Amino acid sequence: MNFVGLRGWFFIFSALVILPGIVFLIIAPGLKQGIDFTGGSTLTLEFSDPVNQTDLRAELANLGHSDATVQQLEDNVFFIRTKELDEVARVAVLAGTEGNLSPNGVQQLSFDLVSPVVAGETILNAIYAILAATVGIFFYVWWAFRNVPSPFRYGAAAIIALLHDAIIVIGIFSILGVLIEMEVGTMFLVAILTVIGYSVNDTIVVFDRIRENVLTFPNRELSEVVNLSISETIGRSLNTSVTLLITLMALMLFGGSTIREFLLVLLIGVVVGTYSSIAIASQALISWEYGDFKRVILRRPVEASVSS
Amino acid sequence: MRRFGRTLIIIVVLVALTSAILSFQEIKLGGFERGGDTPLGLSLGLDLQGGSHLVYRALLVDPQTNEKVIVTEDQMEALKRTIERRVNASGLGEPIIQRLGDDRLLIQLPGVSDPGRAKSLIGETARLEFKRRTINVPVELEQLNQDDIVGVTADFFPDLLTSADESTATTTPEVSEPNPLVLMIDFTPQGAAEFQIVLDRLVDTFLVASASIEQGNSPSIPSRLDITIEGETQLRFEASPLMILQLATSTTYAFAYPADRETGNVPTPLEAQAQIGLNPRVFFTEIQGQADEDIGLTGDDLARAFPGQNQTSGIPIVNIEFNDRGTRIFGETTSDIVLKQQTTGVADQIAIFLDEDELIAPVVQTAITAGTAIISGQDFTVERVRDLALLLESGRLPIPIELIQERDVDAILGEDSLAKSVVAGFIGLGLVLVFMTLYYRLPGLIASVALVLYSGMVLAIFKIMPVTLTLSGVAAAILSIGMAVDANILIFERMKDELRAGRTLLSAINIGFDRAWPAIRDGNVSTLITCGILFWFSDQLGATIVQGFSVTLAVGVLVSMFSAITVSRTLLRVLGTTGLTRRVSWWLPSGASDIPQQADTPVAQRS
Repeated sequence: MNFVGLRGWFFIFSALVILPGIVFLIIAPGLKQGIDFTGGSTLTLEFSDPVNQTDLRAELANLGHSDATVQQLEDNVFFIRTKELDEVARVAVLAGTEGNLSPNGVQQLSFDLVSPVVAGETILNAIYAILAATVGIFFYVWWAFRNVPSPFRYGAAAIIALLHDAIIVIGIFSILGVLIEMEVGTMFLVAILTVIGYSVNDTIVVFDRIRENVLTFPNRELSEVVNLSISETIGRSLNTSVTLLITLMALMLFGGSTIREFLLVLLIGVVVGTYSSIAIASQALISWEYGDFKRVILRRPVEASVSS
Repeated sequence: MRRFGRTLIIIVVLVALTSAILSFQEIKLGGFERGGDTPLGLSLGLDLQGGSHLVYRALLVDPQTNEKVIVTEDQMEALKRTIERRVNASGLGEPIIQRLGDDRLLIQLPGVSDPGRAKSLIGETARLEFKRRTINVPVELEQLNQDDIVGVTADFFPDLLTSADESTATTTPEVSEPNPLVLMIDFTPQGAAEFQIVLDRLVDTFLVASASIEQGNSPSIPSRLDITIEGETQLRFEASPLMILQLATSTTYAFAYPADRETGNVPTPLEAQAQIGLNPRVFFTEIQGQADEDIGLTGDDLARAFPGQNQTSGIPIVNIEFNDRGTRIFGETTSDIVLKQQTTGVADQIAIFLDEDELIAPVVQTAITAGTAIISGQDFTVERVRDLALLLESGRLPIPIELIQERDVDAILGEDSLAKSVVAGFIGLGLVLVFMTLYYRLPGLIASVALVLYSGMVLAIFKIMPVTLTLSGVAAAILSIGMAVDANILIFERMKDELRAGRTLLSAINIGFDRAWPAIRDGNVSTLITCGILFWFSDQLGATIVQGFSVTLAVGVLVSMFSAITVSRTLLRVLGTTGLTRRVSWWLPSGASDIPQQADTPVAQRS
């Protein structure tokens, strides 16, 4: 299969996925911050009837508080964190839980405004840490590929793929934030870290094969070598992501509701990470080699084509 | 098979160790304690495990009017940060601390098995005081005077005497030896009562001293009694209260007779009697082992306290810094202590108390007027220094607080939801194993075994380190499992290529590993680099979630590399030498047999 020849389409496809996300990120309120970062209200409720946590969580989601955390203090007494509740919303929670869960009554033991769990600067600090790690990865890949021509490009391409994956996931979540009020908490941050880790690992596997083939066939065109390498590794790439997807799907389907957001990020991340190794990282090497972007901008004719 | 003997033994030992670590809920080896009543004894974060739910209220009272003062947001924020720092440094696990309303603080701590420790650490009542401690202060006992004494004699310890205190019975000599010479002072009834009060007080200081030794603290100095007898010649000696015995139901007390200072001999009763004379005058002085004097220096005067290291010797020390007022008082006191030491040779100490409990009483070495001091000690360990600094810090909460609510709380992610997720995780892992075995057949089965071992080893390491496992840790674990699976898949795909190229099974296994290795290495090393940078940065910036993630991922990646290189490889090679090699189809991925025609070409080109 001619992967290299499709690179224009790959780039266009990625751009189509990334652009709306960026637009939402900039124009819309951006990522909707969850109660971990914004603080909100806490309620301690005591129910007269037996109520379990799952039902209470579902009822709160019904009432528009899918981001609420529910902790049991004792039987039928729950400590609930939600986004800031005004009087109307508070009464709605009481009425809703009473109506659907505890007809014999709900008693509000406490109601307070509460400060964020995680300081706002944590996100910024995490971003700094990620950027620093990105620089580290860049230098390592550069060094690890020192025996092939232009090793610098491999480092840069790995980072491009990494940023591509992170931006797609963040973009999708800012769209979901507008569409279904999806909010991001500390779990999201962790999930992004995981996606980045996966992305780099996956990219390096494909690059490793390119490295091997470039050294084995020094006289072949880079485009040909890259295409061969992708063909050789695609079986492993798909199998690896399939195994991860199996695990994540099992968790999504059978697991508890409290980690869905987290799993969704990972799920998207695995798909995007696998895709970007083939469609972005490897193709970026080719585009660099053949000056694709210069050519597109200056409208020069095609200099090298792929034979396959 | 013999070639892999060593590796196989290592694997078996590791498997045994792993299962031992995981099967014991609690592990105690000397001072090393791990585990608890959590699943597998792992230490879990608040999101995965319940804990304590504490609500505190700020209690700011105007000292003049005794009226409650409204706390400001800044004060609450400062309070929150102080407690946060204190809990984080204690290793109690990652807390959740939120301001609740205007004047309250909600603190949730993961799985605290010892709520007392948590509460004392949060320090609702902690009051830190610095006192000047003078050693061996003589206090003349004026209430005991000549009128209280009937007579003084010296003789061998009479057999009819019984000890006033059972514990001193051991000082009674063996029958075969002559009884020791004692000095006997007969008091008036009122004098005897007075003397007993003094004696009890002295005994108490001994009990305190021995208790402080048992607790491993530096021993306090017990008080003694100084007795001067002015008879024919002056006799002056110091008596430990444990060596003073009361004659049963009498008003006579016996003291061990002191040996001659120059010769070291105990005189005969006759000599002693001659020394005392007929009508001696007796003076008692209590030597207080240590006397603490209030100097008006408290936790309010402390700016901060933090653990450190001696720059040259590397021995752990505690750094303390005072504010302006503290600097002044501390400077005056230490200058005075040093001056006194130069003139009298008596070295006073600074005793530090937290809620009346003595923390430490360091000797003052120089006058410290700059407001920064270090506390060092021969037996200081990193842990002791950390705890000391924490306790010093805890004496200075920005505003006093009181505990108004204390309950148990379940996990943030919800116990029911988590239980489901754990089951789902096992289903997921099981499916992966089934997929690998069905697709890669025998190698897949081996990889599955390696993967189970891998998961066990990672958990065992988490338990031993210990790593507090939170959701971010679980994410890191999933990623590292993914990478472990990936390493195996890489190896198998390479093996498949080599088998297609017509190699024998054993050489396909070896070459498959060698070819897959650079990819595994670079992927894992870049992940480790990421972990290192994330850890360092988040440590600097205080993003604990990121830190937890990087530690768990690093552990996972290291074990995954080990499991792929050692466990899978050795097991495959061992099986590669058995009769199973004849069934080549068991070694090939499903569907591989019908690919060769198309796939042969690139392989042929390469060779």
